[in-house]
Amino acid sequence: MSALTTLVVLLPLLGAAAALTQANRPRVQTLIAVSVLSAVLLIGAALLVAVNTNGAIAVEVGGWPAPYGIVLVVDRLSALMIVVSAAVLLAVLVFSVGQGLADGDRETPVSIYYPTYLILATGVFNAFVAGDLFNLYVSFEILLVASYVLITVGGTKPRIRAGTVYIVVSLVSSAIFLAAIAMIYGATGTVNIAQLTVRLAELPADIQLILHVMLLIGFGIKAAVFPLSFWLPDSYPMAPAPVTAVFAGLLTKVGVYAIIRTEMIIFPDGQLNTVLLIVAALTMVIGILGAVAQSDIKRLLSFTLISHIGYMLFGIGIDTAAGLAAATFYIVHHITVQTTLFLATGLVERQGGTTGINKLGGMLKTSPLIAVLFFIPLLNLGGIPPFSGFLGKLALFEAGANNGSVLAWVLIGCGAAVSLLTLYALARAWSMIFWRDAEEVADYENPLAMRAETGSSPVVESVRTTPRIMVGATVAMVTVSIALTVFATPLFDLSANAGENINGPAYYVNTVFPGGLE
Amino acid sequence: MIVLLGAFALVSLVIPALTRRVGVRVFFITAIIPAAAFIYTLLQTPAVLADTPPTETIPWISQLHLDLSFRVDTLSWLLALVVTGVGTLVMLYCIKYFAASEEGLGRFAAVFLAFTGTMYGLVIADNVYLLFILWEATTVFSFLLIGHNTGRLASRIAAMQALIVTTAGGLVMLVGLVMLAERTGTASLARLVDLAPEGTAVTIAIMLILVGALSKSAIVPFQFWLPSAMAAPTPVSAYLHAAAMVQAGIYLIARLAPGFAETPGWQPLLLGLGVFTMLVGGWRALTQVDLKLLLAYGTVSQLGFLLTVVSFGSRTAALAGVALLLAHALFKAALFMVVGLIDHRVGTRDLTKLSGLGREAPFLATVAIIAAVSMAGIPFTAGFVAKEAVLASFLESASAGSALGWIAVIGVAVGSTLTVAYSARFLWGAFARKDGVETVRPLHENVWFLSSPAILALTGLVLAPLFGTIGTVLEGYSQQFASEGYEYSLKLWHGFDAAFFVSAATLLGGLALFWARTQVFSLQSRVPSLVDSNKLYRSGLRTLDRIALRVTATTQRGSLPFYLTVILLVMVGSVGSTLALNRTWPDSIRLFDSPGQLAVGTVMIVAALALLGAQKRFQAAVLVGVVGYGMAALFAFHGAPDIALTQVLVETVTLIAFVLVLRRLPARLGKAHGSSRRVLRAAVGLSVGLLMGIVAIVALGARSADPISVSLPELAYEIGHGRNVVNVVLVDIRGWDTLGELSVIVAAATGVASLVFLRSRTDNLPRVSETRARGTIRARLKPSREIVSSEYLPGVQDPSTRTAWLLAGRKLAPENRSILLEVVIRLLFHPLIVLSIYLLFAGHNLPGGGFAAGLVAGLALAGRYLAGGRYELGAAAPFDAGRILGVGLVLAAGTATVPLFLGADALTSTFFETTIPVLGHLEFSTSTIFDIGVYLVVIGMVLDVLRSLGAEIDRQREESSESLESGSTI
Repeated sequence: MSALTTLVVLLPLLGAAAALTQANRPRVQTLIAVSVLSAVLLIGAALLVAVNTNGAIAVEVGGWPAPYGIVLVVDRLSALMIVVSAAVLLAVLVFSVGQGLADGDRETPVSIYYPTYLILATGVFNAFVAGDLFNLYVSFEILLVASYVLITVGGTKPRIRAGTVYIVVSLVSSAIFLAAIAMIYGATGTVNIAQLTVRLAELPADIQLILHVMLLIGFGIKAAVFPLSFWLPDSYPMAPAPVTAVFAGLLTKVGVYAIIRTEMIIFPDGQLNTVLLIVAALTMVIGILGAVAQSDIKRLLSFTLISHIGYMLFGIGIDTAAGLAAATFYIVHHITVQTTLFLATGLVERQGGTTGINKLGGMLKTSPLIAVLFFIPLLNLGGIPPFSGFLGKLALFEAGANNGSVLAWVLIGCGAAVSLLTLYALARAWSMIFWRDAEEVADYENPLAMRAETGSSPVVESVRTTPRIMVGATVAMVTVSIALTVFATPLFDLSANAGENINGPAYYVNTVFPGGLE
Repeated sequence: MIVLLGAFALVSLVIPALTRRVGVRVFFITAIIPAAAFIYTLLQTPAVLADTPPTETIPWISQLHLDLSFRVDTLSWLLALVVTGVGTLVMLYCIKYFAASEEGLGRFAAVFLAFTGTMYGLVIADNVYLLFILWEATTVFSFLLIGHNTGRLASRIAAMQALIVTTAGGLVMLVGLVMLAERTGTASLARLVDLAPEGTAVTIAIMLILVGALSKSAIVPFQFWLPSAMAAPTPVSAYLHAAAMVQAGIYLIARLAPGFAETPGWQPLLLGLGVFTMLVGGWRALTQVDLKLLLAYGTVSQLGFLLTVVSFGSRTAALAGVALLLAHALFKAALFMVVGLIDHRVGTRDLTKLSGLGREAPFLATVAIIAAVSMAGIPFTAGFVAKEAVLASFLESASAGSALGWIAVIGVAVGSTLTVAYSARFLWGAFARKDGVETVRPLHENVWFLSSPAILALTGLVLAPLFGTIGTVLEGYSQQFASEGYEYSLKLWHGFDAAFFVSAATLLGGLALFWARTQVFSLQSRVPSLVDSNKLYRSGLRTLDRIALRVTATTQRGSLPFYLTVILLVMVGSVGSTLALNRTWPDSIRLFDSPGQLAVGTVMIVAALALLGAQKRFQAAVLVGVVGYGMAALFAFHGAPDIALTQVLVETVTLIAFVLVLRRLPARLGKAHGSSRRVLRAAVGLSVGLLMGIVAIVALGARSADPISVSLPELAYEIGHGRNVVNVVLVDIRGWDTLGELSVIVAAATGVASLVFLRSRTDNLPRVSETRARGTIRARLKPSREIVSSEYLPGVQDPSTRTAWLLAGRKLAPENRSILLEVVIRLLFHPLIVLSIYLLFAGHNLPGGGFAAGLVAGLALAGRYLAGGRYELGAAAPFDAGRILGVGLVLAAGTATVPLFLGADALTSTFFETTIPVLGHLEFSTSTIFDIGVYLVVIGMVLDVLRSLGAEIDRQREESSESLESGSTI
């Protein structure tokens, strides 16, 4: 099992290296990328089964004993994240293969796209298994630098501009994270997470609080938590559709994952639970207000992304096993559904030529399948039952009700309201894009005049054909998102067990130091 | 039951495909499923009567208390019969209603069937969360059904309105359900009603649930969505807005009433809203000219009526309530279908344009009359029986001295008067001959078309005398309420009791009101509508949009400095306040170990401050470099020559990269903003810096445990066989980090190249063609891909007559050449490469290592480029940078992977030592292979930077200047 753990990271890395040496053979690159991610998906599933039955795994890389060497830890949460991420990465990869083949690689110059994509995957997977705070930082660097490349792919002016915002903010967040690690090492003399939790607990509470806050700010930027979230809608939507899909689905969740580890393992005292809950409420509400004001689907979805990060924080802030289980389930749900929505948007963009809501119309007639592929995840994200979004919210609400504090009830109220607004924003967009006749578009009174659109581009009539592979990948993602409902029971079992595991550091410490520490 | 629900779902899925084959006849197929459910429910009657409700449960998500549990008690049984029965008939009606050419027919049929199934599930669900799931599903399906005529803005707005209003209510309800289930520990509806908990939390929960129920059933203040929803095709209205969806709220209240009618606020609230809705709906119905809207407002009124009755909480009222529910479903669905027929046959539903239809379409008129008299509550109809029971119950309560009873009696009496009036108006409007209006000429239609409404209307008629029997069945529900000391039974005729007289009075009043319709009409136009929730809804949405815009415009400035300021301010605020709270300060602070540190630190601070005022980009780059070299000096003072060396090399390469990039940028930095912003930013920056300093003091002062680094040198030598700790840490102990950082370098290099070359970089190796090459170096050059033309830059001599120190020096204009530089580089290049290889292999024990070595080699290449230009670079490193990166990464990652196959952990290193004659004692660790990977990756990166930021930009500049020149000559 320990070999499998390292392979999760090594395979995509080797794949990236191999793809780099095959720069002139896009087909070979495609093959490498697809097979590597499929393999990781299988390995992830095997790990999940193993961890679920036999308990968490700790791997000492290079045989160096913890805390001196780097330790990788796979528990239920990590394994679950690996499986979901691998599935999403694979689906998006297939989607972009379809897009690349069809567009003659205009959007995704293959020779750099596949290696970079695999490096991104390396970073994501490594982040989920890192049992060492500095190694977690390295994971973030890997995925961030790869994402810098992907977001500016093609080098068009808007992308460079978006990339600048993204890169500078990310660098600042990395600097803060690095500084936090330095301070934590300064105070404890270690970066091994399991050892940290023991040594930090020995520090005075006020110093713990300082370090805790610093670490959370670093992760908060990556997870796009209000008010550290403003950069996101200005950067993500500009990237090519598949890139945005994978960014939106995965990258912020890596931040949320890090917050979970911070709150549950590194600083398990719950010093900042109240703050987290307040921030969660603000993130939800302010985020969704942004979505209501958008006239571009990609931007709209970026705001819903921020808003729904609030739900996950809600679960974390509740700080019970049930709350964590709910947050875990919600992360899985949100990774899936947000990616699916962006892929569906990619189809809309391809078919309609734009993502401006005010310029699209009549697509129900031209592309009924895309209408369905957009509608189902839309309902899902809006928390309409029986989809996973509803189940996640129900779990959060029940966990909140169980907590019973006034703040928890406020959060439940916000959660319900945000759910409604999500549905409002998305359903309005959907009805305009798919229901409205194409002829109506031209002289339509624009209720969303957020940004005056430059120039009067003609109404887009659908002419292009959409490659089967792209549609197929989207269908697969929609199916996965529905499967989350069908297989909700085992998933909730898993989440609940994961919630119990990570609620309190003892389990984690025992995994890394089976013989006890010192 | 679950099998049936599955059938609903499955058939819905295949319907669209099927419709393409069979067209409109698909409704025959869709009708089968609800018909089966109807029959199945009928078969359950004995069990229901015996008070042993059939139940089915499939556990689903037990953690969330969410199970697929169904239970058919009397109330569910009745509603199941109604929704499946009416559903079947409406499906059959659809066959004639839709033309075969109807757009989106398959979609419609599928959604309609799914809706029917959901509705069936809703009324038999026992789990509150399951109920909610189905509840919201009906909302979504109704969204799709109302918006069926997608091209019309009105239908889209109506669909949206129904969706938002009922979902909003639904979510509020969900919160209430969660509260209730959390408090009682059960999610079973039946158990909840049995337990009937009390307390403030329960009251709040119930109120929240009621919001959901009221919004679904279009009770004031949510009534407005229903008339708008009339944009839907008529079968939708007949089903959703008469028999099914709108009754869901009433159903839920009836379901909860036995347990919770005593909840504080329940009775006055629901009675008040019920009566008010009944009056408002009836009053508005009187002025409608569209028959469908008339019925819609009538439905609002009837829903208010139903609410008043089922929420009343007495046994008789409960019995009356369920009877009324049944009667209402029968006549209202029939009437909607009649309107659909009129629309179909005449082409209008406007009662000012309809005249003499009664004579032209006698059967249609008959059906309408049968249904309408039941609605009006004329004696011996189902509506009458139900209304009698209602009045009897309310009168009983009123005579017992209950104020609410009196309000109920008066409200229902006035409301019924209005009902009679609008029933009459409906019949008159639809069928009467009107003066001055041309008699309509209806199309003839198949009798089939009429069958569904006819069956419904006649069922109402036939059931009326049987209500005595039905009443005994329905008592299964009403007996959940406490006995009031008397027993009332449903009967066709109770004699001339008080209820009858009230009934008769309403009848007369209603007819009088109809008679005086012109006066009523003018009165209405003068009375402003009391509650215009529609306007409220719209202005609410507008306000929401406005707030959303304002909030978003405030936060989402699109300005990077703003975002950074916010982030840093959050940091200053939060970390600052934790520092302010901090009470653990170190006793003493050691500012520096040696004066050298102080000096270097001062220089770095001064450079950083000077950076703030830098006007030119180059100046800024150099100042950043000073800070970096200062850092290297600090490392050196700490006794870390390795890190210091690496830092110096990194700074140098970075500076070169900077300079290369700066060629493409304006020399001066962007225009400075106003002074106030500069002050703010400077303040923020300084605070962050100070903060970090203080945090460092506090954090370091708090250390009590020994750092792990104390043991590292020993570990490095004992296990890693290296005396250079830094190197062993990098390539072995923390090799995993290094591996990660290598991929960072690869990605960064790739990214830089991708931005400059945009499309593909592999084809851009600039080389001098072989024929022009000279000496042995060029002999190994492969045929180049970019053949340099023989046109040389102005002033360049013919290469054949010149000899140069560097190969491609002849490609440069003389003013760009520096002989001295060329000579120095030529002399230094090979020693540098040798040095780099030495550093690579010595690194394990002495300062050096792959990273530093790679940088040295990279610097050598940079020298060649700087001195000789891009052709020189192509000659010095005739490789594809991407491939070097790839090979390096393969080596490094491969070293990590291979041990896995040997059964060891990833990255496990192996150590060999041997003594070979001549060479002497040799030591070799597999981690050196890893280090070679590092070496290659670093070289690849430097090469990539030089190629893209250097050579490619040169080429682009030359191209643009050439095009500029050629442009000027033309």
